[in-house]
Amino acid sequence: MTTQYSILFKQEHAHDDAIWTTAWGQNEKDRTETIITGSLDDTVKVWKWSDEKLELQWTLENHQLGVVSVDISHNGTLAASSSLDANIRLWDLESGKQIKSMDAGPVDSWTVAFSPDSRYIATGSHLGKVNIFGVDSGKKEHSLDTRGKFILSIAYSPDGKYLASGAIDGIINIFDIATGKLLHTLEGHAMPIRSLTFSPDSQLLVTASDDGYIKIYDVQHANLAGTLSGHGSWVLNVAFSPDHTHFVSSSSDKSVKVWDASSRACVNTFFDHQDQVWSVKYNVDGSKIVSAGDDRAIHIYDCPM
Amino acid sequence: MQQHLGAEAFSSSSITNHKGKVERSVNACILMASFGWKRKVGEKVSKVAVQLFEAEAEAETEGEEEVRGGGEDEVDWLHAIKRRREVLLEDCASKSKRLKDEGSLLAEEGRHWEAIKKWDEAVQLTPEDADLYEMKSQVLTTLQEVFPAVQAAEMAAKLRPLWWEAWQTLGRAQLSLGEVDLAVRSFQVAIHLRPAERPLWEDDLSWAQKLQRQSRATCKKAKEEEEARQQLLQAPELIPDYDFESDEVVAACATIAERQKRYDSLRKTTVLIDSSGTVVTEVEDRGDRTPPQQQFVKVRGL
Repeated sequence: MTTQYSILFKQEHAHDDAIWTTAWGQNEKDRTETIITGSLDDTVKVWKWSDEKLELQWTLENHQLGVVSVDISHNGTLAASSSLDANIRLWDLESGKQIKSMDAGPVDSWTVAFSPDSRYIATGSHLGKVNIFGVDSGKKEHSLDTRGKFILSIAYSPDGKYLASGAIDGIINIFDIATGKLLHTLEGHAMPIRSLTFSPDSQLLVTASDDGYIKIYDVQHANLAGTLSGHGSWVLNVAFSPDHTHFVSSSSDKSVKVWDASSRACVNTFFDHQDQVWSVKYNVDGSKIVSAGDDRAIHIYDCPM
Repeated sequence: MQQHLGAEAFSSSSITNHKGKVERSVNACILMASFGWKRKVGEKVSKVAVQLFEAEAEAETEGEEEVRGGGEDEVDWLHAIKRRREVLLEDCASKSKRLKDEGSLLAEEGRHWEAIKKWDEAVQLTPEDADLYEMKSQVLTTLQEVFPAVQAAEMAAKLRPLWWEAWQTLGRAQLSLGEVDLAVRSFQVAIHLRPAERPLWEDDLSWAQKLQRQSRATCKKAKEEEEARQQLLQAPELIPDYDFESDEVVAACATIAERQKRYDSLRKTTVLIDSSGTVVTEVEDRGDRTPPQQQFVKVRGL
């Protein structure tokens, strides 16, 4: 256990081009930790995290264009990836084989997110619809309409009650999953929202936007609980720590910032990347952070617990 | 341009005074240095000559001091220069803006080279302005100056990496240069920054991908053709010690004829991409082909 934030590991040249997305999962049975990365080089790479280093396990090559989003199912066995050619692919992490390919239709997929029970994958479309695909069926099963613009970011609340979407015009929509009803529409930012994340207790929603701000909302009352500034450019990704104490953000100002969830102050800034940092995630117990970006490097940081 | 402005900004009389002073002290230095050298080989220089030099040097330094004493109290150089620099910066930005707008007007009128000249002048004033490079790249692409167009767009994308239009322009310039794979990459970066921009998907990326498929199909065909030709030349079936009548030789001839046919048919096909983007190979009618020009030249030579 460390008492301060530090960089633990660097994987340089992890891909042949910019890394746009990462995910960190843990297998429920054997507790092994897996990091997956998606890149502009059209590939998804599966890395094993063990003994404080990364080991390349699979290179998944079926995507035709850059991979914009990846996610790992909550039991740690499946991965989903989406690319600019609007293909969503499902992968078995143990064998590295493709299980399914789902065509979302032209320009109809950006962020992919597994539902908390891992039975569905949600993705946003350019017409402002949230399409929900069945993992088993491989087909579109539901559709939630925001009546808004292109949806860039999607997040399920950990309790499975809500689904939030962030659009290119800065509008946030929160749906009740059980009824499929639109609960709240928040005019949070004036610029694209590239990432949003719920707190582990599903009470808070944190959003990241090209306007350089991070905003925190109270989900039930749809109140703005805070606006954080600190990044010098677009905020590209946010992720909440599983222990609810912190969240982390990455930006095109090349930095990764860790924020205290209660005081809303930035407690640490990592300036280790050479270029825009597109993605940042916590591991399952919140002791580590992974980040990756245009410099093609994957960084792992140690967090005090 | 910057130098010119600089000279204009400083009040000219005092600057020449200052310059004169610098020149003189440099002269004095050179003289003193030459004495040092002379002393080392002292035996060969007559005493008279040395005295003459020393006297001259003294006179030189005295004159120098006079100038220095006269000029120093009047101008506060340190602050004057600072203030001037601010004025200069402001001047650069507004002047560059004016040149940029002039260039845009010229470009709209189709006076492309004149536009580029204006923007180049503006670049001298504000070298960090990505807009200038991006506009220049567009006009250079119109002029079919493909390589400089790519260079200009690369500069724009480097200066403002989050600006999707710079990447779009770079992709278009790369397409004109025939760098299809690079263009596809640039368009993807542009889309990733600005996914809602439909023309990026529908025009730029899909067109570049179509060209990419075409070039890949052409590549594949060329490889197949080469393989077929290789097979034609190397015929393991033709063993030297053969019996003309034997089944093997007849069979070998049949295979070779078959390969010849395959090679010819491959040579007659061309790769086409139809409007829906699917790759089609079409048999070309080469019946009325004119013989290559080279043969005529050869005949005339005889």
